[in-house]
Amino acid sequence: MENEMTYTAAFDELQQIVSDMEDGEITVDDLAVKVKRAAELIKICKHKLTSTEEDVNAILKELEG
Amino acid sequence: MSDTRQIFTLKQVVSSIRKTLEERYQQAYWVKAEMHKLNRFPSGHAFPELVQKEDDRIVAQIGATIWSQNLQRIQKQFAEVVKEPLKEGTTLLMNVKIVFHETYGLSLQVVDIDPSYSLGELQKERQETLKKLQAEGILNKNQFLDFPLLPKRVAVISADQSKGLSDFMQVLDQNSRGYRLFTMLFPAYLQGDMAVASIQEQLRKIERVKQHFDVVVIVRGGGGEVGMSCYNNFSLCKAIATFPLPILTGIGHSTNMTVAEMVAFRNAITPTELADFLLEAFDAFAVPVLNAQEQISSGARQLLETTGLHFTNETRLFRNAVKRCGEANKNQLHKISDAYRSNAQGTVRRHRQLMDFSNKELSRAARLLIEQGKEAVQRVPGDLKQRSSSALSNAMNLVHQKENLVRLMDPVNVLRRGYSITTVDGHTVNAKTKIEEGTIIKTQSFDLEIESTVTKKKIYGK
Repeated sequence: MENEMTYTAAFDELQQIVSDMEDGEITVDDLAVKVKRAAELIKICKHKLTSTEEDVNAILKELEG
Repeated sequence: MSDTRQIFTLKQVVSSIRKTLEERYQQAYWVKAEMHKLNRFPSGHAFPELVQKEDDRIVAQIGATIWSQNLQRIQKQFAEVVKEPLKEGTTLLMNVKIVFHETYGLSLQVVDIDPSYSLGELQKERQETLKKLQAEGILNKNQFLDFPLLPKRVAVISADQSKGLSDFMQVLDQNSRGYRLFTMLFPAYLQGDMAVASIQEQLRKIERVKQHFDVVVIVRGGGGEVGMSCYNNFSLCKAIATFPLPILTGIGHSTNMTVAEMVAFRNAITPTELADFLLEAFDAFAVPVLNAQEQISSGARQLLETTGLHFTNETRLFRNAVKRCGEANKNQLHKISDAYRSNAQGTVRRHRQLMDFSNKELSRAARLLIEQGKEAVQRVPGDLKQRSSSALSNAMNLVHQKENLVRLMDPVNVLRRGYSITTVDGHTVNAKTKIEEGTIIKTQSFDLEIESTVTKKKIYGK
């Protein structure tokens, strides 16, 4: 759930940056910061698409316990 | 006590019963009863128990017989019409003959079972399940859950080794976009009588570890299209509807949609389609991310370009303004410098003219002088000639005069005219000559020389 929040938040923030950019609400002054942030968010999102963190054995142990 | 009683043999009795029953029940009857247990023997014949319940209490019960041949025909019909096997515990409409066998006793011989009735019963169950779910207000409960942005962690309820499961996993594993999903199998029966309890048990397990999962999928396929009525079971449908995670179904059949499929968060016709749905959710996440990447980089580029352009324009405007300002100044400067220059030129010109003039004057004067000089020089020979000739003649005159004078002065002539010359020691005498009394002086005349001794000396004063 915590992970989900992270990538959901990352996704939402990324969308926000895109719409801010489309609406012309980003100035050259904060462009570098926003682009850097967007790159981080994209990295988080892409990582989420291609990785798994769950472990079957851990879940089974939890079911037994 | 005389034995007046009529005694029958058992055979007589049962034969009589049989005869009576056969006479009484000559035809076949349609009987509605619950088949409690099919009780099929290896011979192929079945000996089900038929019961009637009221409030879950058996109020009538009788054994039945379905001969192998009949059973096969009935089952075939059933599968075709009801898409269900002859199911124990369901109420069937049976065509029965009442038979009595001397050794096996009374039973109902089932010659046919009406599949339409069963179908109706199943539909009735389906309707009742729907009605009850609606009454409890949970019909759409699962569908109101928030679907995760990424259905990454998938609890799979399926049968191990089933075609449905392998189809599902294949689509997920071989996706070309490189998405990775975590799946964990919770094996269960997916059709027939066992399915209801089996699926519910796995749902309970999943619920205990639900924090590890985003969605639950129920995947079935390749098992034929019979035994699906379990998905109309109220208790299973309720478990699905009220489950805390979205439940997706892909149980692959072509008959009417079951209640389970209706209450699930989403239903896909096949496991493959269900897997595609999950991947589409990934796409729905990935595409905006990729687009965002594109949009942000192009947006940033555009912003920089626009700003750069703006800057360039401003710079150009500024430069032009400066240029204009400079030109205005330059023009003024030009004017001033022109004025200066023309002044200076005028001055220079004037001076030059003056100089030219002076030069000219000078050279003219010089030329004049030179010419005068030249003339003068040229005049010189003439003059000279003139002057020299006159000088010569003057000189000649002078010479002549001198000649005459000289001739006149010639001592001889002087002497001739009576003058004499007095000398002392060979020198003529004057005031400075030492002449004293007694000095012998010589006097020479034209034709006579006299020696005398000075007796008196007189110096003429000035």
